[in-house]
Amino acid sequence: MEITIKIPRQDKNSAGKWDTSLEKMVGGTASEQSYTLDIDPGTSVLDALVKIREEQDGSLAFRGSCRTGMCGDCTLGSGRDHLVSCLTTVESAANKEGEIALTTMHNTEVIKDLLMDWNQFIWDKYKSVRPWIVSNGTGQKPVTEEALEPVRKAMRCTACGLCDDGCTVIDIDKTFLGPAALTKLYRFVRDPRDTDTVQRFKEAGERRGLWDCVHCWEASEHCPWGIEPSHVIVEMREQSVSLGVKSGKGNPMVARHYDAFAKSVRHSGWLDERALASKSYGLPPYGFSPSGIISQAPIAMKAIRRGKASLLPHPKRPGQKEVEKIFKRSEEINEKES
Amino acid sequence: MKRFAFYPGCVAKGSCPELYNATVKICRKLGIELEELWDAGCTGAGVLSSEVSDPINARTLAKAEQLGLPIMTICSTCTGVIGAAALRLQDREYREMINKQYLKEQGLEYQGTTDVKHLLWVLVEDVGEDELKENIGKPLAGVKVSPFYGCYLRRPEDVIKEGGRKRYIEKVTGILGAENVDIRGKGKCCGFPILTHNETNSLAMTAKHTGEAREKGADTMVVPCPLCHLSLDGQQSRAEKQSGKEIDMPVLHLPQLVGLALGFSAEEMELRRHFTSTKDVEVKVSQIPD
Repeated sequence: MEITIKIPRQDKNSAGKWDTSLEKMVGGTASEQSYTLDIDPGTSVLDALVKIREEQDGSLAFRGSCRTGMCGDCTLGSGRDHLVSCLTTVESAANKEGEIALTTMHNTEVIKDLLMDWNQFIWDKYKSVRPWIVSNGTGQKPVTEEALEPVRKAMRCTACGLCDDGCTVIDIDKTFLGPAALTKLYRFVRDPRDTDTVQRFKEAGERRGLWDCVHCWEASEHCPWGIEPSHVIVEMREQSVSLGVKSGKGNPMVARHYDAFAKSVRHSGWLDERALASKSYGLPPYGFSPSGIISQAPIAMKAIRRGKASLLPHPKRPGQKEVEKIFKRSEEINEKES
Repeated sequence: MKRFAFYPGCVAKGSCPELYNATVKICRKLGIELEELWDAGCTGAGVLSSEVSDPINARTLAKAEQLGLPIMTICSTCTGVIGAAALRLQDREYREMINKQYLKEQGLEYQGTTDVKHLLWVLVEDVGEDELKENIGKPLAGVKVSPFYGCYLRRPEDVIKEGGRKRYIEKVTGILGAENVDIRGKGKCCGFPILTHNETNSLAMTAKHTGEAREKGADTMVVPCPLCHLSLDGQQSRAEKQSGKEIDMPVLHLPQLVGLALGFSAEEMELRRHFTSTKDVEVKVSQIPD
């Protein structure tokens, strides 16, 4: 079949930025180049790019390594979608006109053409979660197949980057650790041979880490390997809390928020929004944070004026006793287990 | 008769009373009978660990089961969290463990039969287009409405049991006669979950979605979740300041928009409680001939 592949011939300075709202690259000055080739419909997009480089244009820059979907190196953007280019046939990628428009992934820094900065995108974040086993010697024991299940699940990750590229938070803040690196963290905090779990959670619990995820479930939807990074993140939060680590030292609001939430549900059966906000922001009578007061006081006043907040004590809900029993029972079970 | 065990959630009984009141009013008009679960606990909202929230939600599901009714929620987060718990509780071994360890001593047992539905799904699947149309007193002709789903009514698929549900708000606004304004961020996060500990990112999300609705000419956004409302409406003025752009985008709760089309007044739908003025859209609706 005859196909035309369109590629922006760009570098760091001429590349546009992905606009989630418009779902296209905007602001770039790069010109788009079209390559037409006659090719078997079953050829992979990556092989088509190799063919272009070999037969038409030796200056075209892109990445690709294993050609079998194992390495994640060749992931690209295509319009609003993405593709792992070695696993996608030109036939399935082309539109009705036989055209395939390719870009780098959306939230990445371009180096040249289809070549992106993987260090900025994933590798630096990987490094920050210390992706190796840390053992003080006590972890050297036989490991059951069952205990390795979550480890194996995380090891299916090829670092294709699709979860990070679909991440709601990375979309607005590229410094967020992101689902790919957090999945890498999961591989180690669930490994029975690793003995540094608590410290790992303290580090990942700092700002821009584990607790900055908005649990929007996008990552699970974007992962082509069924690893479900969003679910993995939620699971890690629960593991972290169960180990007594509710956030990093420099991120105390998360722990305050968690404690206030749990206390409110336990003692009233439902959420006391006023106490939750006051405790999280460190407002009177629970604390005295000038920045919290400045930012929250106008909202509190407005809420009171509009009947959205009450000055009366937070009432207990019927059924509170039963809810509290569940909290107590859960603690008893945990104590017994430990 | 359409009957549901009504689980309004904490925020509709707290900082969004207008959502609760609008729901009760439209349900009465549409013949949806609500039996409120007065003594149900908070779902945990994805904040509490599932080891404690699953038993709390199993208790709620068991109480609805005793009534022989499906649960109706009016909060996407509640729907997602209790829905995910209900899915886990389909596993017999897990359910028996929760029953044995937690519910038995409360004289309850969950059999795994309770369905969890958001009001949005009830409007489309249980009330249906014909009945909804019959009850319209004021078709919202010419009103440009921008749906905002947020996360939990879009994902994960096994919880929402997708089958067209990702397009339900557009379906309802279409039935009401409104004009749809699509924004790309309609299935993204509103910013609420990180509001306390990463306000910058949270407000950036709020500004992005409300700003996009403004740019595309919407008269109002509509949300099925009070947490989205707290961000998109409640934090909008702060998001404006941070982003440096004027937004001024009204945000209605789903039952408020439905209520206006059913003929309820803005006063009855308690639009005055909102932080961002709804005046322009109120005027537009009031000018529509009955």
